Amino acid sequence: MTRAISLTISSDPEQLAPVRHAIEKIASDLGFDSDAVAKIGLCVNEALANVIRHAYQGSTDQPIQINAEPTNVGLKIIIRDWGNGVNPDTLPPKPHDPLKPGGLGLICMREMMDEVIFEPQDKGMQLTMNKKRADRPDENHSVGAAA
Amino acid sequence: MINHSELVPQSKHIGDAVVASLKGEIDLHKSPELRGVILDLLHKHNPRKLILDLSGVPYMDSSAIAVLVEALKKLRKNSGKVFLTGLQPRVKGLLEIARLDTVFSIVKDEAEAVAQ
Repeated sequence: MTRAISLTISSDPEQLAPVRHAIEKIASDLGFDSDAVAKIGLCVNEALANVIRHAYQGSTDQPIQINAEPTNVGLKIIIRDWGNGVNPDTLPPKPHDPLKPGGLGLICMREMMDEVIFEPQDKGMQLTMNKKRADRPDENHSVGAAA
Repeated sequence: MINHSELVPQSKHIGDAVVASLKGEIDLHKSPELRGVILDLLHKHNPRKLILDLSGVPYMDSSAIAVLVEALKKLRKNSGKVFLTGLQPRVKGLLEIARLDTVFSIVKDEAEAVAQ
């Protein structure tokens, strides 16, 4: 049985790969296919990189907490920081220009995950990302199917 | 041939092209090193073609993509091109999401890039 994990790291880019690998292992253990595992890993990487670059403005000694837990349809990942609290959802949208790759991380998260929620905290931000397994029906549909 | 680093273990200069082989996972931790090596190659050789063999790169993130785009912009100023070869599935997928799969010249191998 795959268990939830909780990791607290410093905002050092050196921490990105070990966290990504740990989350990918959980996703794989939960039965996600290799394509989904890769997408989950990339989204975790991009979310953490955004925290380091933007919320902490490159500072490498600030805390980031990562929780990953199985759900009945897949995997939930929560990333908490205590940075500047800027909510990406409130930033004005800009047209995607391939030659200006800023914002690509957010695009990946929104395209690759089923749910991406930014919740401002008293200090910092909490990001929740949900990913459903392709072979699991939607929660609402599964209720209907069981009735 | 010049040895650079673990990340860019080899590069060579052929005519108006610089060919570099990249190796390893490239994320925000490694991309500054990649940027340094690539900008150094462009500065030293001023090539019209930069050919990057990515067959040794199983993973890259948006920070690595930003380095490739920066190199492309520099080369385009001299009507140059960046060729990518040996794309692994994760890297190819990210380039597609970034809509860069048609901006870079993706080729089968180094020879095809040199011939263009």
